[in-house]
Amino acid sequence: MSTDKPADLPSEEELAQMSRDELVKLGNKLDGVELVEYPDPWPVKGTRAEKRAERQVAFWFALAGLSGLAFVAAFIWWPAQYVAPGKDGDFMYSLYTPVIGLTLGLSITAVGVGILNYTRKFIPHEVAVQQRHDGGSGELDKATILANLADAGNRSSIARRPMIKRSLAFGGGVLGLALTALPLGSLLRNPHAQSANAAGLLHTPWQHKEEGEKVFLRRVTGNDEISLVRPEDMDAGAMDTVFPYRETDTHEEWEHILRLGDTPVMLIRLRPQDAAKVVKHEGQEDFNYGDFYAYTKVCSHLGCPTSLYEQRTNRILCPCHQSQFDALQYAKPVFGPATRKLAQLPITVDPETGYFISTGDFIEPIGPAYWERKS
Amino acid sequence: MTKKQRARTKLRRRVAGLLALGFALIGVGAGYSVLVPEPQTAQAQDDPAIVREGEKIYNNTCISCHGANLEGVKDRGPSLVGVGEASVYFQTSTGRMPAMGQTSQMPRKPRVLTPAEVDAVAAFIQANGGGVEMPSEHGAELRGEDPARGGELFRFNCASCHNFTGRGGALSSGKEAPALDGVTEDEIYAAMLSGPQNMPRFSERQLSPEEKKDIIAYVKSVTDGNNNPGGSPIGGLGPQSEGFIAFVVGIVALLGVTLWIGAKA
Repeated sequence: MSTDKPADLPSEEELAQMSRDELVKLGNKLDGVELVEYPDPWPVKGTRAEKRAERQVAFWFALAGLSGLAFVAAFIWWPAQYVAPGKDGDFMYSLYTPVIGLTLGLSITAVGVGILNYTRKFIPHEVAVQQRHDGGSGELDKATILANLADAGNRSSIARRPMIKRSLAFGGGVLGLALTALPLGSLLRNPHAQSANAAGLLHTPWQHKEEGEKVFLRRVTGNDEISLVRPEDMDAGAMDTVFPYRETDTHEEWEHILRLGDTPVMLIRLRPQDAAKVVKHEGQEDFNYGDFYAYTKVCSHLGCPTSLYEQRTNRILCPCHQSQFDALQYAKPVFGPATRKLAQLPITVDPETGYFISTGDFIEPIGPAYWERKS
Repeated sequence: MTKKQRARTKLRRRVAGLLALGFALIGVGAGYSVLVPEPQTAQAQDDPAIVREGEKIYNNTCISCHGANLEGVKDRGPSLVGVGEASVYFQTSTGRMPAMGQTSQMPRKPRVLTPAEVDAVAAFIQANGGGVEMPSEHGAELRGEDPARGGELFRFNCASCHNFTGRGGALSSGKEAPALDGVTEDEIYAAMLSGPQNMPRFSERQLSPEEKKDIIAYVKSVTDGNNNPGGSPIGGLGPQSEGFIAFVVGIVALLGVTLWIGAKA
């Protein structure tokens, strides 16, 4: 604001008698604003063009309302239940998503177009000029504002009250610490604290809870059937995904096992001519059962599911970063960013039932690296 | 001992030796036929005429890579002993066989053999070594009742290679899992049974016929344009392509709106 005071400020009586137009003009003048152009978009009232513009805006708002009603109706009554292709009502079902999307989208768009149309057609497009000073504030302004601030600080008398200062430092400091230390500290917590067992990432639910426990290899069938795997179930060159299952497991426990990240295991049956070429890792010589080899499905690079098994090249592929593992050589990495082999699950056949069981947990951690991992 | 006597004993020794050898050979032969079990190959159930017809077609179109006795030819084609009719059905009815050349993987192409010829070759292969057989049902009969369960099974067993809506995907060294559009129910069933090329095999004990049919029902419900209610599947690859298109279309539309708002009335 300029420092020179306008000379012709109205008195209280004059202010009370001023019309709205005069008040607007006065406000502009006090702000240093001059309206160069302020045309009425419809200088002649009631023309056909004006009526048409009005109808256009009304049309968009009405369209928004109707389309919104259509959305509500479709949302409530349109058949949303899945219908397989080829069955009756498949076509109507397939239109459900497009219909609610189009109606709601049209409604929102129409409101927007209506408002914009109104703005463009009926709000005057003024051209205003406002004077601004160049550069920074004048020396006088700077000196006075600094003096003002210093004076306010001095008058608050905080400098002379050490008790308040110290208690404020204490309160503010503790609050600040609480706000920063808590979120930071939570990053430093023990990653194994929430694990199901004390060894955390070292073990998986394949670990035997007691000596001689039978942990079966169970398939997923898409229903409640308990489908355990027998050797004769799989042809040569087959792969199956299995999860740990104990006979005492309830349905809820099984559902929980399926949700865990470290349980899936690939059970692979090699072709006989390939099985003759197998190279076993030291310490894992008896982990397989004949041509059957069980490897974790969790990639040793970043933990993606490595379930792309090529039965003729015997490669196990990871889809995320194209790591490849050789199923004939203890699933060691042969291509891509992975550097560690896939952990192998020791399996055998339960002599009593004929189903596959695991003879123990993986002997190494599965999946990607973490702080404590040595290899 | 006279010269004559010596000659006679020599003759007798020879005759006796020959007789002993003959008895021994006959004994071994009889023992072999009694003790050695029958080879466990499936016997031809089909009309011998069809098998002969299949052999003729085999000799004309397949023999150069798979050998005169189905034993395979090194660096050309694998042995066909024990692959079964399901394998023949899949490879020939999808046009992958007869192959036109050696590539990382045999691509699908227009079929060369007619359905009758496919059946004949299948009967011939089945008669010589057995293997997985085709189900008795065909076409739409192979679609199960529960595509939702089929979807779950598909995501567990198939989606890692074929993508969760059957769009296919890359494998190692130039190979790929093909998209499942335009594949018939019989071909899907045959592929699951026989494990063509690098696909694992899914026996009837691993995935029951019921489960296979549900999987087919699911595949049929998401392929052949059945899974693009928006009009275009945009590759069917999920959020990547869809997000990109939405971004480009959205930005262009926003630019248009901005220009319209800014334009003088």
